Amino acid sequence: MAPLKFGIEFVPKEPYWKLAAYAIQAENSGFDNLWITDHYGNRNVYVTLAAAAIYTNKITFGTGVTNPWMVNPVITAQAIATLNELAPGRVVLGMGAGDKTTLEAVGIDMGKPLAAVREAIDMFRKLTAGEKVAFQGEVFKAAGAKFNFKTANRILVYVGAQGPKMLEMAGKIGDGVLINASHPSDIQFAVQMANEGIKQAGKSPADVDITAYTSFSVNQDPAKAVKAATPVVAFIVAGSPAPVLEKHKIDVAKADELRGALKVGDFPKALAAVTPEMLEAFSICGTPDTCIEKIAALQKIGISQFVVGSPIGTNVKNSIDLIGSKIIPHFK
Amino acid sequence: MDYPKLVELVPAEKLGPLSDQLLNFILTTKNEGKMPTKLANAMLSKMQQGSIKSTIGVAVLLEAALTVEPEKTMAAFGEMQLAQLAEAVKGGM
Repeated sequence: MAPLKFGIEFVPKEPYWKLAAYAIQAENSGFDNLWITDHYGNRNVYVTLAAAAIYTNKITFGTGVTNPWMVNPVITAQAIATLNELAPGRVVLGMGAGDKTTLEAVGIDMGKPLAAVREAIDMFRKLTAGEKVAFQGEVFKAAGAKFNFKTANRILVYVGAQGPKMLEMAGKIGDGVLINASHPSDIQFAVQMANEGIKQAGKSPADVDITAYTSFSVNQDPAKAVKAATPVVAFIVAGSPAPVLEKHKIDVAKADELRGALKVGDFPKALAAVTPEMLEAFSICGTPDTCIEKIAALQKIGISQFVVGSPIGTNVKNSIDLIGSKIIPHFK
Repeated sequence: MDYPKLVELVPAEKLGPLSDQLLNFILTTKNEGKMPTKLANAMLSKMQQGSIKSTIGVAVLLEAALTVEPEKTMAAFGEMQLAQLAEAVKGGM
């Protein structure tokens, strides 16, 4: 079994210098990949990645994830290709379908997500290969777009996926698959679907970086790990449809109660409604030993990269230290 | 204040722990708006170069921590038994 790669996700709701400091710390702690989320409500993902590019030396980084809708894929390709000049060979593109609620908030109708992601990635690859893009797609069209500069190397593309069709397509066209899940049964299903796509494309599973993009919280005190994970899990539960909750044997009435509390801004009530079953289903949290056990189970299923996603822990700096000293060495 | 001079008042064995503590204050502060960009970039450069626990790195952290979290930073001097440093900062050295 190849050594497991470790990635870390940061949300640019904090200024660039805090995230760049965490990025340096993550690099020094043995992380291989850095993922920055893309949401219009936070700071710009590419500016944040530029800061990470300047102040790190070897970590690979990219969007975790962007979508084809918010900006034209030509501009996404331009931004990633320019970042690749700041940190040659260390940049990847992470692209998914986007979040329906978020896109609707800015008036974007998320039609044909599979076609949109596929076409955007096709445009990205052609543009960064120096080719002219001229096509009439289901979602996008181009009439001869071309970069006036060269991209020095091929840039890997990771596809963010949750549903079966997107997972299959991710395996088929992606250099990596970002599976947005934490529970072994969800990861198992996702890996199976991605492998279907990999097979269809005539590739080997070793050709694709199968990545578990988890909600993660570590602390030497398990209660503190749970406390940090609880708000994140509350929002995941609130956004999950009933079949997903039932699959994890989560009381739907309890989830409705939680959703209602969040809707009216009653956070104490919402947090109190988070059950151990919810935490188990939607996060990896606990002591370093507990986390090692859970990560090892995911590695057995077939992941090649494990992403430590929000909240990471009660104190991000201390949590990165803990992961770097106790967890990563176990897998290297 | 002459921050490199202030750091001379820190015993060598306390540079590492002080660096960790100051960096923690800086990264957890809610007073992000008080951080000058030039100082933030200096801090990042020292971190990237691996010199954040050296005298010059701690000097940058000291300036940043006293800018964004002056009370916590002064309290930390007391907890770490850095009385000379605390006095020098109070005196505006």
